[in-house]
Amino acid sequence: MISRMCSIFFGLLLLISTSTYSLEVIEILGGKASEIPIAIAPFEGSEIISGQKAHQIISSDLNRTGLFRPLNTSGISNPPSSDININYTKWSAMDAQFIVVGKVEIENPVSGNIKVTWSLIDIFKEKTVVSMRYTGKKSQYRAIAHKVSDNVYEHLTGSKGIFHTKIAYVKKVNDKKYSLNVADFDGFNSRSILNTTQPIISLRWSPDGEKIAYVSFEKKKPVIYIQNLRTGKRTLLANFKGNNSAPAWSPDSRKLAIVLTYNQNSQIYTINADGSGIKQLMRSHAINTEPSWAPNGEDIYFSSNRGGSPQIYKVNINDDEISRVTYEGKYNLSPSISYDGKLLLFLTNDQGKFKVAIQNLISNQVLKISEGPADESPIFAPNGHLVLFTYKDYGKTTKIGTVSINGLKRLPINVGTSIIQEPTWGPITN
Amino acid sequence: MEELQLKKSLLLLSLVALLGAGCSSTPLDAPGDPAASNYYGTDAATAEALGLEELRGNTLLTQRSVFFDFNKYDIKDEYLDLIGAHAQYLNNHAPARMIIKGNADFRGSHEYNLSLGQKRSVAVKEALNALGVDDSQIETISYGEEYANQECQADACGQDRRADITYEVE
Repeated sequence: MISRMCSIFFGLLLLISTSTYSLEVIEILGGKASEIPIAIAPFEGSEIISGQKAHQIISSDLNRTGLFRPLNTSGISNPPSSDININYTKWSAMDAQFIVVGKVEIENPVSGNIKVTWSLIDIFKEKTVVSMRYTGKKSQYRAIAHKVSDNVYEHLTGSKGIFHTKIAYVKKVNDKKYSLNVADFDGFNSRSILNTTQPIISLRWSPDGEKIAYVSFEKKKPVIYIQNLRTGKRTLLANFKGNNSAPAWSPDSRKLAIVLTYNQNSQIYTINADGSGIKQLMRSHAINTEPSWAPNGEDIYFSSNRGGSPQIYKVNINDDEISRVTYEGKYNLSPSISYDGKLLLFLTNDQGKFKVAIQNLISNQVLKISEGPADESPIFAPNGHLVLFTYKDYGKTTKIGTVSINGLKRLPINVGTSIIQEPTWGPITN
Repeated sequence: MEELQLKKSLLLLSLVALLGAGCSSTPLDAPGDPAASNYYGTDAATAEALGLEELRGNTLLTQRSVFFDFNKYDIKDEYLDLIGAHAQYLNNHAPARMIIKGNADFRGSHEYNLSLGQKRSVAVKEALNALGVDDSQIETISYGEEYANQECQADACGQDRRADITYEVE
């Protein structure tokens, strides 16, 4: 199954990138057909929890990935709640290849804790893939449903799911009211961790999950802070003459690449997370900015206009050797690298429309995965299979959404009516 | 865009006229005159050392914005007089400190626009350097697109592609 999924996945990427870059074409080429049809049956007893039901949360999670096609199960009478007595003929007539069933029970009437028992079943093989039980507080119901999604995803794709991760973003209420917010990856359970009257940009979550680095304009110019998520305490990482911006964590969370100007153009430096050991990486008359640390810890991808218009380059931090990475298109920005180091995510100006694109770093094939016209800030999910980005809703208000890396599924993340921008994605934690 | 710039210049001119009117009615160098605080809260000696009367009286010195084309940071000829006047002012008043703030329109990434705004402020600084101004008198920073109009269309975005000259004393 795993190898089959992988071949579908990468086969699709290849198929798309050899065609013209229109999303309509991708769908005609059979993207939809390669999605796994999966039925998530309504969980027995889920009426004891208010709000969205487990099967809706799981369906919504899997749907975002572009790898699954959750089937509508709302009209099914007496859905199965365990892997006993599955009517395989009925589910296979619905085209379901897999089914998830489960039940929710009160585990402890005193504490009110709940117990969720569930199974993933292969309809074709008439065989249970996995059965598990989670217990927790009622308030952890969404988290438990996301854990089910993670397990289904991992069993069917061989990659870790990201449904239990967090994102952070900037909410701009008006010109004098900004907040830095943290939420579940799907926008639920959001809370603000900083409120300020000046812009905040360039959020970057540390790979160890503990901190967020960001750029604030509260000192009347851009400076870099690091905020500890557990204590809420923040420290000023860089406040040198001129601008201080574009923090990017090293894979071990011990260093950052940052951009400083002094009285010149933007140049990239590395600095220890405690503010010591600052070192300039390379020097040029052109703009060097938007560093992004590769998972190997040795290469830093960045954008630069050294060739005229902005393109993406990489520099080796040991010998300062620079090579150009993007060649397609005249204006490419905002690089970020997948956690396996194989895919480059970036922003491309396609005849005046800003779109999210992915370049396979082995074949160098490029696939545009969004339509623009004003998309920005693409960032990989920690498993590299989904992308968080911003787009302009009805051409006006900036919002966040996800797009699957095959470009098939673009869905909004609803976190309110304000301007939502500059998102970052936290790591997978246990 | 040109029309907008023209409007802006007219606005500046009328502001200058207003300031000028206020100036003539209150002799600012009069000892103990509370109006002396109009010089950004400095005393008369500092005001003289910094040439503040000239700074707000000279039409060219009251022009503070240099505009650029999309993704560009080369200075157009039409701004050379303005830059020349500010260079002369800085050369004549060694204690004066200028802060140049670069800006960009909203298109493209926040970080690249921060760098582009910086390129623009550095372009203005280098033009001043070429006229003999020392780096110690100038600080360059950028606001990128952070204070730009996020909904501008086409030419109207030109208002955000600029470097603003400010002085520390202000």
